[in-house]
Amino acid sequence: MLGELEQVVMLAVLRVGEEAYGVPIRGEIARHGGRELTLATVYKTLGRLEDKGLVESYEGEPTAQRGGRRKRFYHVTPAGKRELKQSVGALRRMASGLDLGWES
Amino acid sequence: MSRVSSTPPALALFLLRTMLPASQAESFVGDLLETYADDCTTRGPARARWRLWRETLAALVVVRPRRLGITPQLATGDSTMRIFCGDLLHGARLLRRAPAFTALAVLTLGLGVGATTAIYSVAAPTLLHSVPYVQSDRLVMVWERDGHGGKNNLGWLTFADIARSARTLQRVAAVGNWQVTLSGGNDPERVQGSRVSWTYFRVLGVTPALGRDFTESEDRPGSNSVVMLSHGLWQRRYAGDSSIVGRAIDIDGAPYTVAGVLPASFEDVISTQSRIYRVLGYGPSLSYACRSCRQLRAIGRVAPNATLAQVDAELDGISAMLVKEYPTEYPASGAFVVPMQREVTRAVRPVVLALLGAVTLVLLIACANVANLQLARAMRRSDEFAIRTALGASRSRLARQLLAEGLLLAVLGGVAGVFVAWLAVPALASRLPDDFPRLASVRLDLGAFGATAVVTLLVGVLIGLVPVWHWGRRSPGAALRSGARQVGPSRLVARGGLVVAEVALALMLLVGAGLLSRSLLRLLSVDPGIDASNVLTMQVQATGRAYATNEAVFANHERVRDAVRALPGVEGVATANQLPLGGNTDMYGVQALDKPLANPELAPSADRYAVSTDFMRTMRIPVIQGRGFTESDDRDSAAKVAVVSAALAQRIWGSESPIGKQVQVGGSSAPWRTVIGVAGNVRHHGLDEDRTLQIYVPERQWLFSDDAVALVVRTHADPSLLAPAVRRAVQGVDPTQPIIRLESMQHVITDSTAQRRLALLLFGAFAVIAATLAAAGIYGVLSGMVAERTREIGVRSALGATPGDILKLVLSRGATLAGIGLLVGLVGALALGRFLQSLLFAVSPADPLTLAIVAAMLGFIALMACAIPARRAVRVDPMTALRAD
Repeated sequence: MLGELEQVVMLAVLRVGEEAYGVPIRGEIARHGGRELTLATVYKTLGRLEDKGLVESYEGEPTAQRGGRRKRFYHVTPAGKRELKQSVGALRRMASGLDLGWES
Repeated sequence: MSRVSSTPPALALFLLRTMLPASQAESFVGDLLETYADDCTTRGPARARWRLWRETLAALVVVRPRRLGITPQLATGDSTMRIFCGDLLHGARLLRRAPAFTALAVLTLGLGVGATTAIYSVAAPTLLHSVPYVQSDRLVMVWERDGHGGKNNLGWLTFADIARSARTLQRVAAVGNWQVTLSGGNDPERVQGSRVSWTYFRVLGVTPALGRDFTESEDRPGSNSVVMLSHGLWQRRYAGDSSIVGRAIDIDGAPYTVAGVLPASFEDVISTQSRIYRVLGYGPSLSYACRSCRQLRAIGRVAPNATLAQVDAELDGISAMLVKEYPTEYPASGAFVVPMQREVTRAVRPVVLALLGAVTLVLLIACANVANLQLARAMRRSDEFAIRTALGASRSRLARQLLAEGLLLAVLGGVAGVFVAWLAVPALASRLPDDFPRLASVRLDLGAFGATAVVTLLVGVLIGLVPVWHWGRRSPGAALRSGARQVGPSRLVARGGLVVAEVALALMLLVGAGLLSRSLLRLLSVDPGIDASNVLTMQVQATGRAYATNEAVFANHERVRDAVRALPGVEGVATANQLPLGGNTDMYGVQALDKPLANPELAPSADRYAVSTDFMRTMRIPVIQGRGFTESDDRDSAAKVAVVSAALAQRIWGSESPIGKQVQVGGSSAPWRTVIGVAGNVRHHGLDEDRTLQIYVPERQWLFSDDAVALVVRTHADPSLLAPAVRRAVQGVDPTQPIIRLESMQHVITDSTAQRRLALLLFGAFAVIAATLAAAGIYGVLSGMVAERTREIGVRSALGATPGDILKLVLSRGATLAGIGLLVGLVGALALGRFLQSLLFAVSPADPLTLAIVAAMLGFIALMACAIPARRAVRVDPMTALRAD
């Protein structure tokens, strides 16, 4: 079972798509998840997910921007997608039929 | 992506680079920088920096432990390491569970480490590092001997002779003062510069970053309109435009060719404020190149294989020959060199050393305090250790546990210290006087921090081991039986000793602060000889093509005075070539007709004041005898007159009246003048300097016109209120002339004591920290004692001891500790006083009043620190205390 933070970060990685590295992932969470995480939290969560084999990362080529520092890109593995589907599905099932005032 | 010039805080990036695992650092820092750049454009640099710091701290907290291996899953590997990591982890948990203790200890250590690092950072460029040139140990300053065995500047002819004949000096160079106005464009700017011989940068071993160095052929009269720019000036005024090299720029209304730009790393330690250099271009025919025109300082590079003694011997020989040839041009025979490093730091050495000493005391007190805290805490944990020993833990195992805690505290304190130093160093640098040597190189010194960090780690070990030393002596059974309520005598001695040390060290610092403040008070009560209240001063000038003649300059000064005099609220206006305590040195020999000297160089030197008619009236310098100047004196055609200071009159004529005597100022070709009056003495060079002599002449009667003069304005009310109006009035006369140093005379005097003020401020701050820590130490020991002896106190009061007895029991312990500390501190203060000697003014290092006041004050603070534990002891309820076990 995934933690809530892990779900949010994985969803953000999926939403950003190909260009998923620290800054846009955090931005996505801020825009759609409504919360300002620190980069450190994002990285720590990504590290944990990587340890579990749910996301993978690779380093991009150095560019002239960011003082020549490389970006680390993340994408969700098939195992990660499975896990996420399960977690989110479970949440959905649990919530269905309850009137929490969000369907109106 | 838009570029924003604001650079991210380097310290944050440094921390991240060193603390984060390499695999994460690059992408993480990259992300942070990207965010920072975005924030700069969307939210502004302040918000961006704030976020960057928050992110950095978060990263250090969240990410770092994974690398250090504190988390259990990573603490595998060899078993010693694992146990140590376990100890660290356990220690960290314990520290987190005692937040008050941890915060206090970390704060104390942080203050000590931070203050020490900051002061060492300021001291390092002056005391530890050599001057920033190649083979700097061979660089010297060359001086002529003056009539009193001191050092003197050189006239150009003497410099040229030395340059020609000295073999032990590979190369010499001369440097003189040069103040210019960068005209051109609509923003005239006054800049401090130097005139240097063509060899100057070659002696220092500096090559221009752009363009070329001066050439020998340029160093001649008529071909010397060539300048070199400092990197800073080039960046600021010329926007780093490299096409400036070879072009002409406008200086004082005339064109000068820019030969080159100096490297950014170049720091001029001889004229610290020089931003522009002009080749000297003196020649034997120039009147101001004469041997007695001592305007130049000389530097040299000692030849390989030559020793300083050999250089001195050769220079003495050259000087002896010159004196023989020109006996009336030198006050004494001899010339000598001083290593450049020693020369440039000489003035501040005593104050820097004193501050280093003081801050070291603060660090010691901080360490003693934390050791004390840890000892108290360890006593309360006697139970824990007794049980662990009983369960089979070896003594070394416990020692390692305590060691880990001590180290952890030391590291946290060190981190806090970096932060304190990082804040303190720029604050300190901005308060240093502008002429502080090597000011440009003052920055957070990693070496200093390293040294302090090592000390702190050692202290960490000590802090950890002090408690171990105590348990070593007790069998676990005894410890368990006693219920940890009894206190072994050795422990009391250790804690008492720490408190005594703290009080003693604090007293020494307080005595230092007390002596310095008494010195400053004494100094400020010295009569400067002028009335500085309600006087506004500034420098005004008349340079450029429009002011080619003396008359044009004088006319401008007069127009300025008239314009300011017309303002409401102005009582009097005057100009003079220099101000008392303004930091100028402009002295001339004064010869009396009726007291002829065989060697005119032995004539007394006096500060030359070329003044407008009203100067003495405006400054309220009293005319003691005769009369002051009138309008009719201030004409070129008028009979030449002078006013002498009382000390100058006394020096030349003794008790004879000087009125009507003839004097000659400024060399044997200068006109003879009639002394018409005697003025009160003025402190010209500093309130704490020896008195100098003054001679006043009307400005139009002087040998030349001074194009930059000090304007003094006496006002009816607060002079700062009138400052804008005065500035407008002066600007109205000629808007192309910059105005600088607009300040009250009171401020000029205060500025002349800037170094003392800073020393006092720092000493005072250290003393306050020290006294606070000492008070905390006494409080800690006594409250610990009351807590440990609650049962005993309960029994005593049950057996009939009065509150007075209990009070006496607690207070006598506190008073004994404080008393011994005060005694030791007094002895220490007397012993260390001589190191402060050179910073004191009219106060003895053993000043009894200061010692008494400071000791009484610290005694009172100690008594206050005893009050709370004493009250707690008196309130011990015998029944509760007895039932507790």
